Amino acid sequence: MEILRVESLSKTYGEGETRVVALRDVSFSISKGEFVLVVGPSGSGKTTLLNLIGALDTPTFGRVFIDGRDIFTMKEEELSVFRRRNIGFVFQAYNLVPELNVEENIVLPLLLDYKKPDRQYIDELLDLLGLSDRKHHLPNQLSGGQQQRVAIGRALASRPAIILADEPTGNLDSKNSREIVNLMKLSVEKYKQTLIMITHNPNFAALADRIFNVEDGIVTELGGKGK
Amino acid sequence: MRNYLALVPKYLAAHKKRTDLAIISVALSVALVTAIFSMLDVFLRFEKIQVIHDYGNYHLLIKDASAQEMQAIASRIDVEEAGRWIELGQASINGVRCAVGALDENLADNLNIKVIAGKYPAAKNEIMLEQWAVESHRLNVKINDTVRISSPGHVGREFKVSGIYNDLANMKAKAVPGVLMSLDGAAAIKPGAELSYIVLFKRGVKILNAEKEIKDTLKIADERIQRNERLLAVIGQSKHKAAVEIYTTGAILFLIVLIAGVMMIYNTFNISVMERVRQFGLLRCIGASRSQIRKLVEREGLAITLRAIPIGVIAGVIVTFILSAILKFYNSSLFASMPLFVISVSGIGAGIATGFLTVSIASFLPARKAAMVSPINAVTGSGDIKISRSKKRGLLTKVFRVEIAMGINNAVMKKKTLFLMSCSIAISIILFLGFQVFVDFMHAGMKTTKPYTPDISLTSEQGISEGLYKRLSDIDGVKKAYGRRFAYVEAAFDAARLTEAYKKQVGNIEVKDNGIFVPPENSWLISYDRNQLNWAKRDLIDGTLDEDKLNARNGIIAVMTNVRKGVTINTVNLQLGDKVYIKTPAGTRELTVMGRLRSVPFRDSKPNLSTFIITEKLFTELAGESPYQIIDIQLKKRNQEQTVKEIKGMLDSSITLHDARQKNAELDQAFLTMAVFVYGFVAVIALISILNIINTMNTSVASKTRYLGVMRAVGMSGAQMDKMVLAEAATYSLTGCLAGCVLGVMLQRALIADLLSSFRIVWRFPLAQIILIWILTLLVTALSVISPLKRIKAKGISEVIGSL
Repeated sequence: MEILRVESLSKTYGEGETRVVALRDVSFSISKGEFVLVVGPSGSGKTTLLNLIGALDTPTFGRVFIDGRDIFTMKEEELSVFRRRNIGFVFQAYNLVPELNVEENIVLPLLLDYKKPDRQYIDELLDLLGLSDRKHHLPNQLSGGQQQRVAIGRALASRPAIILADEPTGNLDSKNSREIVNLMKLSVEKYKQTLIMITHNPNFAALADRIFNVEDGIVTELGGKGK
Repeated sequence: MRNYLALVPKYLAAHKKRTDLAIISVALSVALVTAIFSMLDVFLRFEKIQVIHDYGNYHLLIKDASAQEMQAIASRIDVEEAGRWIELGQASINGVRCAVGALDENLADNLNIKVIAGKYPAAKNEIMLEQWAVESHRLNVKINDTVRISSPGHVGREFKVSGIYNDLANMKAKAVPGVLMSLDGAAAIKPGAELSYIVLFKRGVKILNAEKEIKDTLKIADERIQRNERLLAVIGQSKHKAAVEIYTTGAILFLIVLIAGVMMIYNTFNISVMERVRQFGLLRCIGASRSQIRKLVEREGLAITLRAIPIGVIAGVIVTFILSAILKFYNSSLFASMPLFVISVSGIGAGIATGFLTVSIASFLPARKAAMVSPINAVTGSGDIKISRSKKRGLLTKVFRVEIAMGINNAVMKKKTLFLMSCSIAISIILFLGFQVFVDFMHAGMKTTKPYTPDISLTSEQGISEGLYKRLSDIDGVKKAYGRRFAYVEAAFDAARLTEAYKKQVGNIEVKDNGIFVPPENSWLISYDRNQLNWAKRDLIDGTLDEDKLNARNGIIAVMTNVRKGVTINTVNLQLGDKVYIKTPAGTRELTVMGRLRSVPFRDSKPNLSTFIITEKLFTELAGESPYQIIDIQLKKRNQEQTVKEIKGMLDSSITLHDARQKNAELDQAFLTMAVFVYGFVAVIALISILNIINTMNTSVASKTRYLGVMRAVGMSGAQMDKMVLAEAATYSLTGCLAGCVLGVMLQRALIADLLSSFRIVWRFPLAQIILIWILTLLVTALSVISPLKRIKAKGISEVIGSL
């Protein structure tokens, strides 16, 4: 079943001499439950692609369908609601809210949706992420790996269909990196979610269903264990 | 880049928006200080001109001076001008009551006497008259006419009118012509009359010291010296209680202005440093030492100050310029000597000094904090802000929706920011409330035209008939005419209610066994109709002015100030509920004090024990039926001269016409001179406070750009973000507002109760001001977050998140 479809997506920044083409006519489709890895050199357009899929940015041309809906036709308010229900983000720099503790950071997307967090599910998540005994800690009392696990928890809290991760292990050592990726894979399998992750780490290729390579704004599929 | 400090201009240029906000903040506080201090400086210069016009340009008056004393004083090096003045008092000129005096010609200008026609009297038999008197129907004389002046107990003498001088507002209102003659003439008409010596010192002379020297060397007793206290007050040389009270009040308020300036700048710098902890950590990582970071921050402060100070100074000068322009526009002749564009060196100096001083203070602490940043902060993602370990919260989310709870939480968590933001708002409010004291002072301390102030008053000893009263009311150009009766009665009450000042003036007072004194003097009893009672409400200290209540309960209204020999003093200290016993033909009548007035708009020439106001009904009961003694007339704006002529035509010689228009206009002018500045102070403070709140909120929102981006990525909608930011801003404003109102009201109360007590201003809870402040602050807060939020929303989320 198709969860994400990208149609002729293009993005250019700047004008005239400073014009930079970040993405050129990108089209692909991803099915539900797939783990997609996006690789490519720095500046190739990986982050732009991810930002566009997550509607954090608007394309110059092209469309993105999530769960059959064209996200760029939505109005800002509608998009916010759609985003918090359907897309989870994990950033390289964690981007936790420093004033909120672990548990509060995780349930934040639910609170923003005026939903009562499902206690059992949240406890399960905390358990899965190994944060049960730290749920009252503030972000600055945690290690990098722990902070990233909180960010993953936050991305998973509203059980979104798609999780977008931009180099989630970029700031972590190899042991922590593996742990994080395994955790993400485990959780997407458990909750039947789709994961699109940007990485520079070639070791993760073996775990992915599909691998996309981005170079000079052009996306090509390299294959993966799914193929 | 030759030096690491070259980073500063690069950084400032790269973050234009942030730099601009900091510059605005410094410029605002410099403008505040420059404007307030320049205004004070210019105000004193204007006020000096005003006081010289109203009270004369001299410093000391030595009564009963001997020739030897005058000689000694005139030869002093610090004396600019000195001359003799003889007051001959009441006399009559061609049968009309007048006031006669003699003045050395060199002092005429200092006492605002200007010869309009003819010449200053020099010979023994020459006199000079006011213009209105020359033209009055009762006198009607020309230059070179001969007039006969006789003073009580002396033989009349013939004089020649040598000149005409300008109208003196007070004499015109009293309908007593002022007659000036030469010193020789005065000596001839009343040999041995008391001679006063009027002294004006040179600029920069310490007058009180000079006075002491004169007193000591010439052995002059204290009571022989009179100071022109108001002039001394405006040049800052008065030690009079009232002047010292105003100096102290002013000093306190101006100190707060300085503190406000420091707070405003400190707040902005603090925000700016806090949000850049990561950048400083980064610099530390690549090898910057602590002192280098501190220098960077300090240099940044300097760069901002250098750009902000000229803007602030110019803004402050412009405000002052506007005020001087208003004053010059309203009274171009009086203020002709004031340049339109006044540059106040002290004001600008104060602005620049506070600018530099506060920036160095304001950047010193954040700079130290920046230097303390550990390099680790740069690499660990979060931990930008040190957060106090707090217990599990959750209460807020139960009461409010999540976005509002988060907004409040954001504000409350950062105690220091909350403190600074609130302080910055609070201090503006404190200033606003504090300066309101001057408004109160001005209204209470300066007599000015009130709704009931008459243009023309008619008085007659024999009384004015009901018929004439009616005919006057019917004149086309008369807006309103109202009559007043008064009587002199023996009023007695508890002897303890007489003031020491009064007892000292009248000497021994006989007190009966029941504690009631025997009145040594009569009291002035005035009847008021309902309108007049209503008008008097502005001067009510406490009690009631309700006509029906006063009638029903035999009420009387005590006037707390009394004018004796031209000096305002408090003779009685009556309280509400005190009994007053008034002797009437039908026996003694007991009345109860039901209201207390600060003052009445007229004064009696005779010294009285006290003044009482009573309703017309009670007046008739006490004093019997009687004609009006005074009819006050208010004129319509058009054709006033014609109307005055018409009125004059109806009067016989027993009725005196008092033309108070010039006096009213001059009082209004004096009030305006002060009002322009007092309201100017309040307006500048209010305006700068509002701009400061807008700027601070802007800075605060701008510093959250990235954080807000993350929130949106996590799923916060635009409306939720608005509410969150607004909740945070509102938390700052409400805390600031609350603190500001509490402290401001306390300050206001203290200033009025402790410092301005001699002006009999009563402190009341400033409810209207407080409501205005709350509405304004909340409105400004809401408005101030709109534009930065719009700016953030206009940017793509990815752009915002990637901005660091």
